Amino acid sequence: MSEVKLAIGYDEFEDGQRIETAVESLSASPEAASLSSLIIGDWGQAYENSSEDVVEALVKHSASFPALRKLFIGEMGYEECEISWITQSDLSPLLPAFPELQSLTIQGGNGLSLSKLEHDKLEELIIITGGLGKGVLAQIAASELPNLRKLELYLGVDDYGFDGSLADLLPLIEPGKFPKLTYLGLKNSEIQDEIAIAVADAPILDQLDTLDLSLGTLSDKGAEVLLASGRIKGLKALNLSHHYMSEEMLARWQSSGLPADISDRQTSDDDEDWRYPSITE
Amino acid sequence: MKKTRPLIVIGIPGDKRTGGIQQAGSRLGLPPAIIIPYTGLLAGRTLAELLEAEGFPQRTAASLAGPSAPLLRLDSPGGSFEVERALITLGAPDAGDCRDVLHPFGQRPDPFPLSSRTAGKLRDVPGVLHHPSQWFRGYCRLLARLREEAALLLPDSKWLNDPQDIADMTDKRRTQQLLASADVRIPRPLSAEQTLEDYSSIREQMIRQRMHRIFIKLACGSAASGVIAYQVNPSTGAEIAVTTVGVENYITRPPIYYNSGKLRRYTDSRTIAGLINWLCGHGAYAEQWIPKSGAGGTSLDIRQLVVLGKACHSIVRVSTTPITNLHLRSRRMSPADAGLSGETQEQVRNTAVQALAAFPGSSVAGIDVLVSAGSQLTYAADVNPFGDLLYNVEYQGFGTYEWELKQLIKEGHL
Repeated sequence: MSEVKLAIGYDEFEDGQRIETAVESLSASPEAASLSSLIIGDWGQAYENSSEDVVEALVKHSASFPALRKLFIGEMGYEECEISWITQSDLSPLLPAFPELQSLTIQGGNGLSLSKLEHDKLEELIIITGGLGKGVLAQIAASELPNLRKLELYLGVDDYGFDGSLADLLPLIEPGKFPKLTYLGLKNSEIQDEIAIAVADAPILDQLDTLDLSLGTLSDKGAEVLLASGRIKGLKALNLSHHYMSEEMLARWQSSGLPADISDRQTSDDDEDWRYPSITE
Repeated sequence: MKKTRPLIVIGIPGDKRTGGIQQAGSRLGLPPAIIIPYTGLLAGRTLAELLEAEGFPQRTAASLAGPSAPLLRLDSPGGSFEVERALITLGAPDAGDCRDVLHPFGQRPDPFPLSSRTAGKLRDVPGVLHHPSQWFRGYCRLLARLREEAALLLPDSKWLNDPQDIADMTDKRRTQQLLASADVRIPRPLSAEQTLEDYSSIREQMIRQRMHRIFIKLACGSAASGVIAYQVNPSTGAEIAVTTVGVENYITRPPIYYNSGKLRRYTDSRTIAGLINWLCGHGAYAEQWIPKSGAGGTSLDIRQLVVLGKACHSIVRVSTTPITNLHLRSRRMSPADAGLSGETQEQVRNTAVQALAAFPGSSVAGIDVLVSAGSQLTYAADVNPFGDLLYNVEYQGFGTYEWELKQLIKEGHL
């Protein structure tokens, strides 16, 4: 497998370097033909400039990347851009341009659209956001992705763009929506308990290997319903990492024998008040 | 045993620094250093009196002049509230000693100065930033006094780090100015002006210069005290301040700012403006936020110690936040473990050596070096005159203090 990451840093962007040029030079390079994974990092001050130019350049040069199977649009950290400030665009033109694509990862929910989400071979769709809009959730619900195995959505919070509710998620777990799905991640959510309760006994669990409800605000309330469900017993992995469950609840998980990851417990007052003197090092 | 110059350390007796120096000296078979406590100096006793109280020079049979005149080392005044309060008192407008000659921006008045009487009554509230600029003024006054006393009393003595340099290194505005004029690569300053006015002028500058992400630092802060990673979204006008500064708001009096061990994230303009204006009042410095290299969504920087022009001990501080200081629960790593290439490590050392060379009166400092994520260029971000308190790190088999003492002996300074 060969992988390349393209990114335009702040200074490079100020110097006039552009992501489309970087895509173009990559397409003309000898490694293009065998490239299987492409990561697009910061495309240049992503808090101000959208990914539109990235999409356009990739579509334009798609024929130069016949081996491409994995695409990541927007891999960047807070050192470059706050996740909630990454300006995305309509990424769906990428899908027909890369008919052999198997995995698409998107970071940043701002301005994101997947207007025509149709692909015969896509197996993985991962969207990492601080807040995913219900518009995108509706587009995923209306998608045609018959081969999808893994759907992982970082839903985020109201403040950063999650304007949906449980009702917007329910169509995604309808039986038959994604017939081949084995990994479902509805995570990083401020309504994690509601989600846990809704999926705990959903028929989709019967086809899943992994249910990922991690990184959110899961508490005993959601956990209680999960534990009581017969359907979760068939899972090979249940990811509940980063949660707000009580010690007692953790003990119950431990004795349940279920393959649950209950690491990284949060406490609401995590040394909130620890103060330090000015001069210590 | 080779005859060495006596070592006089101005510091806090029994703390990790003076303790570390004594321990290192005894391992090398040196006579113990003479520790002059800050508290004694701040209580008004002269260097001569305090030396005499320590039995110097009689006890050590050393001479004050000539080739065996002492080496003077200033160490950190931090870690003691008593010293902090006394320095704020000394920085008061009505303090008897008003020589601001070493203060790089001594003419600029401090905001809401405390009289020496009020300063003397400050209570120890952990982490509270009582009055940073007045503290710094007091410290500069003490440094000026010490420099003068030493020149009269010990004319042939040498300073390990000249008090003038210590004052300059403790003021980030001055440090960066000196680094820039010595052609050391530094993060681009937001403003050529040495003084930042306030929140709105900073925002205006950011937009005008298209520098949307900056670090704002209390000019005289250390240990990430008074540091804000600040960004403005040019499209939406939204802003985020990630900072070590906690705020306690009151209805009837101004807010209290303190060093928070947990990083704070502010997004409301009122809090951010209050915080930035407060920093600006006490003197602040702002520079481009260099995206710091780091694997897997982490940030890192390097504390590189330089002794007598040579780079020695270094530690990499890896954090999941933009502020990497170790007490904020960053992880420490060796440069190789952190994935820095040999070439980058070499660049880090060179940058640190160049940075110390910008202070010709100084022999030891810990330089904070950043590596830019994209270009892998190195930048000198800070010069810490007391940056040699590094635990559990060896260079050629020696701890920091032992290495320093060995080098000082080797080069004939001790």
